[in-house]
Amino acid sequence: MTVVVQTEKLSKYYGNVLGLSDVSVSIEPGVVGLLGPNGAGKSTFLKLITGQLKPSLGRILVFGQRVWNNPVIYHQIGYCPEVDTFFEDLTGWQFLTQMLRLHHFSPQAAAKQAEEMLDFLHLSQDKDRLIRSYSRGMRQRLKIAQAIAHDPRLIILDEPLNGLDPLGRRKVIRLIRQMGEAGKTVIVSSHVLPEIEAMTKRIILIHQGKVFAQGNIHYIRELIDTHPHIISIKCDRVRELAAALVKEKEVIKVFFTPDPHEVQLETRQRDVFFERLQQLILDLHLEVEAITSPDDNLQAVFDYLIGER
Amino acid sequence: MMAISLRETSRANFLISFRDVFKFYSFLGIHSRRHKLFFLIALLPVFMAVIFKSSQIIYGQPRFSGLFIYSNMIMMFFLQFLILLLALFFGTSICREEIEGKTLPYIVTRPINKIAFILGKYVAYTLLVSLMVVFSLTLSFVIMNVNRLGDLGIYKVLVRDGGVLLLGIWCYAAFFTFLGVILKKAIFFGLIFSFGWENVIQYFPGKTQKLAIVHYLKSLLPPLSQEGFPFLLFRLEPTPPGEAVLILLGLMILFLALSCGLYSWKEFIIDSQ
Repeated sequence: MTVVVQTEKLSKYYGNVLGLSDVSVSIEPGVVGLLGPNGAGKSTFLKLITGQLKPSLGRILVFGQRVWNNPVIYHQIGYCPEVDTFFEDLTGWQFLTQMLRLHHFSPQAAAKQAEEMLDFLHLSQDKDRLIRSYSRGMRQRLKIAQAIAHDPRLIILDEPLNGLDPLGRRKVIRLIRQMGEAGKTVIVSSHVLPEIEAMTKRIILIHQGKVFAQGNIHYIRELIDTHPHIISIKCDRVRELAAALVKEKEVIKVFFTPDPHEVQLETRQRDVFFERLQQLILDLHLEVEAITSPDDNLQAVFDYLIGER
Repeated sequence: MMAISLRETSRANFLISFRDVFKFYSFLGIHSRRHKLFFLIALLPVFMAVIFKSSQIIYGQPRFSGLFIYSNMIMMFFLQFLILLLALFFGTSICREEIEGKTLPYIVTRPINKIAFILGKYVAYTLLVSLMVVFSLTLSFVIMNVNRLGDLGIYKVLVRDGGVLLLGIWCYAAFFTFLGVILKKAIFFGLIFSFGWENVIQYFPGKTQKLAIVHYLKSLLPPLSQEGFPFLLFRLEPTPPGEAVLILLGLMILFLALSCGLYSWKEFIIDSQ
């Protein structure tokens, strides 16, 4: 398969601050998830690919060409930034047609393409409203629209699901998968594992500016599944529940918190435990207020994985 | 053959980029709320002219003619305040607007030549400022000389003043574009330059006054009348008009070339938060 993005020992420093360090990856057509906690270097990596930043060290090639200060290649790239900013004095329609004009589309072609794209992303009805009056979800969809309207071969989406409602998320996930199936190269960044899982099986894990792992998502899933999870349960009779929990073989630890209605436990088999917990709640006739997993976020998982290595 | 073809492609890309950037920022310039506010500021001399003229009409027998007040007060307001202010805000925004508004990713990921971006936006915004100033200047002139509009001789003054202001706008805007590219706090330093340096240095004796852009602009105008202003002791030691025009054009080209070079070379980091 053709390599679309290739980096060799790519590093980026902001003064003395490390943004990205020694990253060597090859990205082929299809959807690739860039996964890492906030501040991991995902946006820096994406900005380097799109030519917004100059590499401090190493090399980056997109479609076999250098990308910094090479505007000819930008016809092939679509970029959806993470920041929620626009030319606020324009309407959605004006913004999208003007962005297409900057891709050297004729006025007619820009209008036709913008019409189709706004319709596709369900923004047609609001196209003549000022962007400043758009909801967060509408703004997010408009950002995605400007990234794909010119039909690029490489699409880079930085946290594209931020601010979208569940329906919007589903649509965008479907769109990303369709683009991947159509042979485009889509790089999507996120700090939420299930979001990436819904789009692709190919991931690049990035943490503290370094590529931590890359490949199939099952690999990271396996690692995560052995990660001890802390689960917090708030209910009316916590001590009774705690007594029952210690008898369960999936549970490693049970402990109380200053909150008299809360008990916390640690398990290595989260999915199995949740199935068992449902039964316990029914058997004990408990009134459960909340079940949460305080460390169920990517940072905790990364901390754990790094500790393991 | 190949080299020629590459050069032609690159030139075509530059021209198309310039055209599209110019059109985009002309469009944005007209729709921007901030620019509408600046248009109102540009109309300040018109309000001044209305007040002067009204008071002349109300109190009768004015000591100074309309043309005298126009040349010595309104024109000076344009020259020493308005064009500086407008050129400062529009010039610095050529680079800083996208950085501070965090809209730079939409521009730098488009197939736009960076030099064409600076020049296209500079021409679009400076043209917008020029139109604002010419409109305001013409209106003020007409109001102040409403009783002499049949005298064709006075229009020479309007054409000369308009030319000087346009030259000033284009030169100052180029300088402020350069400040916007090199400095984060370009507006702050621009204000110090405009209302500190420019307003002080021009009154220094000898060659020192030649270090201010306004010196060359004033060299293109007749000396300011001191009739009624005997306390004004400053004397302009003008540069010959031809030389002054050449220096202003030279400064404009120099600052634009520096801006384009630096903007192409420099990377601008946008905070993601």
